[in-house]
Amino acid sequence: MNCKQAQEKIEVYLDRELTLSDRRDFEEHLEDCKNCQKMLDNLRSLSTSIQQTNYIKAPFSLRRKIKSELRDVTGEENARYGWTHLLGSAAGSAILASLAVWAMMTYIVDPDTTRTQLITELTTAHVRSLMVDHATDIITSDEHTVKPWFSGKLDFSPPIKDLSAEGFGLVGGRLDYLRLDDLQQRPAAVLVYKRRSHTINVFIYRSTDSEENPRLNKRQRQSYNLINWHKQGLSYWAVSDLNATELQQFAQLLRS
Amino acid sequence: MATAKDRKHFERLMLRHLDASYNLALWLLHDTTEAEDVVQIAYMKAFEHFTSFTGGNTAGWILTIVRNTAYNWLSKRNRGSNLISFEDVLHSSQNNSPTASGEMNPEELASAEISHSQITGYMKTLSVDFREVLFLREIEGYSYKEIAEITQVSKGTVMSRLSRARGQLRQIITDQTHREKTREL
Ligand SMILES: [Zn+2]
Repeated sequence: MNCKQAQEKIEVYLDRELTLSDRRDFEEHLEDCKNCQKMLDNLRSLSTSIQQTNYIKAPFSLRRKIKSELRDVTGEENARYGWTHLLGSAAGSAILASLAVWAMMTYIVDPDTTRTQLITELTTAHVRSLMVDHATDIITSDEHTVKPWFSGKLDFSPPIKDLSAEGFGLVGGRLDYLRLDDLQQRPAAVLVYKRRSHTINVFIYRSTDSEENPRLNKRQRQSYNLINWHKQGLSYWAVSDLNATELQQFAQLLRS
Repeated sequence: MATAKDRKHFERLMLRHLDASYNLALWLLHDTTEAEDVVQIAYMKAFEHFTSFTGGNTAGWILTIVRNTAYNWLSKRNRGSNLISFEDVLHSSQNNSPTASGEMNPEELASAEISHSQITGYMKTLSVDFREVLFLREIEGYSYKEIAEITQVSKGTVMSRLSRARGQLRQIITDQTHREKTREL
């Protein structure tokens, strides 16, 4: 292969699309040709630059919109995506009507709207963590590894328990930010546990003064169960698609 | 009428390509809101024609629909406006032949440190079919044959388009680097 032939094939070589025999010929030429080596280096660095452009995760809202619209087509109930669906597809006065319905429904479910926002926030954070396949920043089943990892990142020390003997394996932890009642972003420690195929996210953050209720409060949002309690100045939220009974069992173990 | 079972099947096969779909739309449209709209429309269109999907390359199938929807969107967006057509952009570039690379000073390119935002900015100046082929090859890693299927052109067209796209991008980088050097002096 001469230089001209090699240069014609150089990109095809880079793209790994040359036939085996062409590739051999090309590489043979490449060995002795500084010019072609330089061209190839150039092309490689150009490729690298292009590959460094940002790859963006599709927004969660887009996924939700598509899923909701698909259910419209099949005529399925859109319960899981209820209120966003109402907001998304209703038009004109219908928007107002559905908003009113929505407000009533949330009021019945939970009189405390800020609490409702928090529950939405927690559920979204839980779902997001499963979606992006980024549930854990630190992966370990060892409580003694998770603890120091958090200590440099938070101004409180979340109690960490491995409950694998009870069937709730500690998978790891991560740092998340939650928007609480005062709409301020607050750092939260998240402990990630597994029960069979179900992931449990436990969000832990500093309680506000008003919260000192050690009782387990159970909630449900979409198909997720949430359990909330407070202990020693910290608020806990366990969120999972695990059934309510087992999640309660888990919460009791963690709280004790 | 499509059933819940169809919907579940569709979601399982196609939603895992949502990131690729969204990024392709972003590369073609350069607008997050429009990219979202286009992907949503494309997914609904895909579901409508899901019965015609006979199996095989799910990513290729959905990306084809996404890019067709994006092209439709672009043609509507540009209709009646005074925007320069992509063809004009294509032809106004003086030097985008595949052999242009041989005439360039390799050190100049190698020494040019190109940042994220710079390369993204340069990419925007390329025509839409050039961006598309670069995305499918460099980001998604598709073969020439697969790209040909998605973009509905021949393999030869894919190869020459890819080569011209690289040549043009390289030219832009060289020009910019040169311009910055001159400014420094
Ligand atoms: Zn050579």
